[in-house]
Amino acid sequence: MQMSKQLQQAAHNGGSPLREIFRDRVFNGIHQGTTWQFHRYGINCKLSGSVYAVSEIEGAVPLIHGPAGCAFHQRLTPRKMYAPIYNLPCTNLDENDVIYGGEDKLRDKINEVYRKFHPQLIAVLPTCVSGLVGDDVPGVITELDLPCDVLHVPSEGFAHRSRESLDVLMRDFAESWKDPSRSPAYDLRGCGHEEVMFSIVDQLMEEQEIAENLVNIESFGRFTYGFRSELVEIKHIFGEMGVSVNLTLPTCTVDEIKRAPAAELNIVTRNLRWAERMKERFGNDYLRKWFFYFGLDGVEKFYHDCASKLDLNGVADGAIRIEKTQSLQELERYQKVFARDDFAVSTQGFFFTPYLARIYALDLKLPIKYLCVDMQLLKALNISEETIEVMEKNMQEAFDEWDLGFEVVTNPTLGEMSEIAKKVDHVLSDRITPPIYEKGGGVGVMDISATRYLLFRTGFSGIVEFGKYLTRELNTGKTHQNSREPIISRFDYDTIYYPMLDDDRCSASREMWSGMWGMKSVGCDDNGRR
Amino acid sequence: MTMDGGKFFGAFRASSGITDAVVLNHVPVGCNWGAGIFKTTSNQFDMRHACTVMHEREIVFGGEDALREALIRADELYDTPLLLVIAGDAPSIIGDDVEAVVDSVTLDSEVMWMEAAGFKGSAMDGYEEALLCIAGLMKESETIQDSVNLIGFSPDDFKVDADVKEIRRLLSDAGVEVNTVISKCSLEEFRRAPAAELNVVLGQGTKLCEQMKKEFGLPYLKMDYPYGLDGTSHFVGAISDELGIGHEPEFDIEPFKRIYLYLHELYGTPVSVIGDFHAEAMANFLDGELGFNVEVLSGNEDDYFEFAEDVRNSNTTILFGSSFEQGIAETLDIPLIRFCYPVFDNVSVYDCAPYAGYRGAVCLTEAIINTVMSYGGMNK
Repeated sequence: MQMSKQLQQAAHNGGSPLREIFRDRVFNGIHQGTTWQFHRYGINCKLSGSVYAVSEIEGAVPLIHGPAGCAFHQRLTPRKMYAPIYNLPCTNLDENDVIYGGEDKLRDKINEVYRKFHPQLIAVLPTCVSGLVGDDVPGVITELDLPCDVLHVPSEGFAHRSRESLDVLMRDFAESWKDPSRSPAYDLRGCGHEEVMFSIVDQLMEEQEIAENLVNIESFGRFTYGFRSELVEIKHIFGEMGVSVNLTLPTCTVDEIKRAPAAELNIVTRNLRWAERMKERFGNDYLRKWFFYFGLDGVEKFYHDCASKLDLNGVADGAIRIEKTQSLQELERYQKVFARDDFAVSTQGFFFTPYLARIYALDLKLPIKYLCVDMQLLKALNISEETIEVMEKNMQEAFDEWDLGFEVVTNPTLGEMSEIAKKVDHVLSDRITPPIYEKGGGVGVMDISATRYLLFRTGFSGIVEFGKYLTRELNTGKTHQNSREPIISRFDYDTIYYPMLDDDRCSASREMWSGMWGMKSVGCDDNGRR
Repeated sequence: MTMDGGKFFGAFRASSGITDAVVLNHVPVGCNWGAGIFKTTSNQFDMRHACTVMHEREIVFGGEDALREALIRADELYDTPLLLVIAGDAPSIIGDDVEAVVDSVTLDSEVMWMEAAGFKGSAMDGYEEALLCIAGLMKESETIQDSVNLIGFSPDDFKVDADVKEIRRLLSDAGVEVNTVISKCSLEEFRRAPAAELNVVLGQGTKLCEQMKKEFGLPYLKMDYPYGLDGTSHFVGAISDELGIGHEPEFDIEPFKRIYLYLHELYGTPVSVIGDFHAEAMANFLDGELGFNVEVLSGNEDDYFEFAEDVRNSNTTILFGSSFEQGIAETLDIPLIRFCYPVFDNVSVYDCAPYAGYRGAVCLTEAIINTVMSYGGMNK
């Protein structure tokens, strides 16, 4: 079947991958995107990440070992706001259990959950309370004799990463932009998801005979917009290479998880720890999807690296080349349209920024005069000034080395953006900043915040789809929308922590969170500063 | 399994109802996140809560230093007359001396604290105890004739602004002034609560009423939440009688006449209702005024799996509850009308579309009919 047909079938109701992304943005993003903003004031419990990950496993039931209040709000896990975990059994620990221990209750509840749901897997998720009381969860599980698997996931809420961990990781990423071989080989401390992944490797997976050219793919559920059609493309390209996909982890059945060690290779999307553990226990090799696998060359490299890991060097080259060539040919049509005009692109500073800029400049061949990079967002993520400086310097060096030819404007003001807009034909923004620029009928900016998800895919078609979309928008003149005044452009925003409103209480709560979280970091002064 | 948020959630909801206060949760990150996420669905910039970020270090060495630091920071950062400290599960188990910490700092803001470990009681317990804790801030005030306090609200109740506005309107028409709405008022309004002639308690806050009766001689009246025409008439009439006003409220049946054929078709519809203290009043309206058959009625303190099973075994075709009931509704392929906490997948920001009062009866009926007609149940 033709690739385009496969992608259309994968997207909702036979629509295009682009429509799938817009659908995900609307129906998932309205929850997820909003919740993400609340991370300026706090982070969610590790337990919620675990609830989410277990809920992705077909046939599994998460069981909260803690007070009723923990289960009450963890039903709405931030990773799955669009689909709360309605059935979330809980041991309902009370004061008595805090004094005498909750192991009996846990034992009874596991049996009850089995009787009620007959699941293939019960995942016991301890909370702060059961962790503090010191209940021996693995001990209770070992004593049980049930015709289903019972998993223990260390998910106590007080054990989470410190503020500085993201700062250090971001700096290490920036150091490796020009030399990907220096990519950091470690992860942030888990937010519950990782703990589930590690537990299923350790406690659920079974020794299998490793099948040649079989891979597992770590998924991130529907959190990644357009994941369904992306997976179809990945399977298609692998198929052309003679590689089969065993399963997506943890979005699969319990039985599939048990058979996961049959794969020769694990494709790691989020955390390495589980894959390292699989390698240790079952001998499965792994490949981490890094930022340098973005873009046409990056995607090509990704599949070549997979082929190399699978001893398919040379064998798969033809298939990868055909896929890439087809995309390049189609892109040429759109590049001719782009070549007519000058562009400014507004983007955010993050670990993928240089490689995203490469896609704009080299794959799409957008004639970019200005790349406007907002580094202030990083402050909202508690990235230090020192790290931001390193990122800016390394980003510029990477652009120079790649000869991308645009001027980088860091943290442009509204006035500067207005001046830039006068010097180009189109301003594109890959995050939702147009409301700032449209304030008072100001700068006309085309919002590509949703469509940019096409550019991050592990396949060639996303960039082509993006090119097609942008061409259509240019042809219809939709890139100039400065005559309107949307309601959200009429608010006053905090200039650093956009889209946080310019509001004293919001600012105070953000600063409060930042300071208190900072105190949990190693190497911070009393004010939480490094 | 119950659908009760536990004592911490109740205390948080009552405390954050003091609209110019800041709530400082002495908890690990997750508890703070959970309480906040439900509160902000329909008020996304009402960010007046923070936490002490209890981490492994605090679990081992105690959280008192973190609390002290948080108090000092909060006092510097927020322009607030009151900091309300809520100590959750973790500090309760490790034995943090919250009182000693609070006493050890001198701050511009007044500080009150409460222990509200989730495992120590229900959400209603937390609500009651939080109000009792801050009751100490009330002051003797000159009585305002024919005035009442409305007690039992929370700032994140679905439709709270619209409902309060409608109840104020109805009581105003009866010659009754609403003095303070608890917990949906400023600190100054809370302090002046004893000026009312009568406390009207809706579902929760009875302990505060008892305390105010004892301290200020203020009588109280326990009332059902005023859903429906009859429920509202009874509500307004009872308050008016208690105050010796003798007002007989009137309502307009005309809006219902415009949709009478739909009401005919929905007459006898089997429905189920679950929720906090709002649930029974809602069921009374559905049964007594719309003519529905309420097959299952359950409270948040009841076993949720039993409720789900009972609904599955019933003929229920419309479900009334919180956003959490969407799971049952999806399983049975029936619509859900959200009316009580927590509602996180619908917003209520228009303060002229209540569910309470006479206008609320119209809005609620409109919502039910619109939900049923647009549900597409026959196409599924």
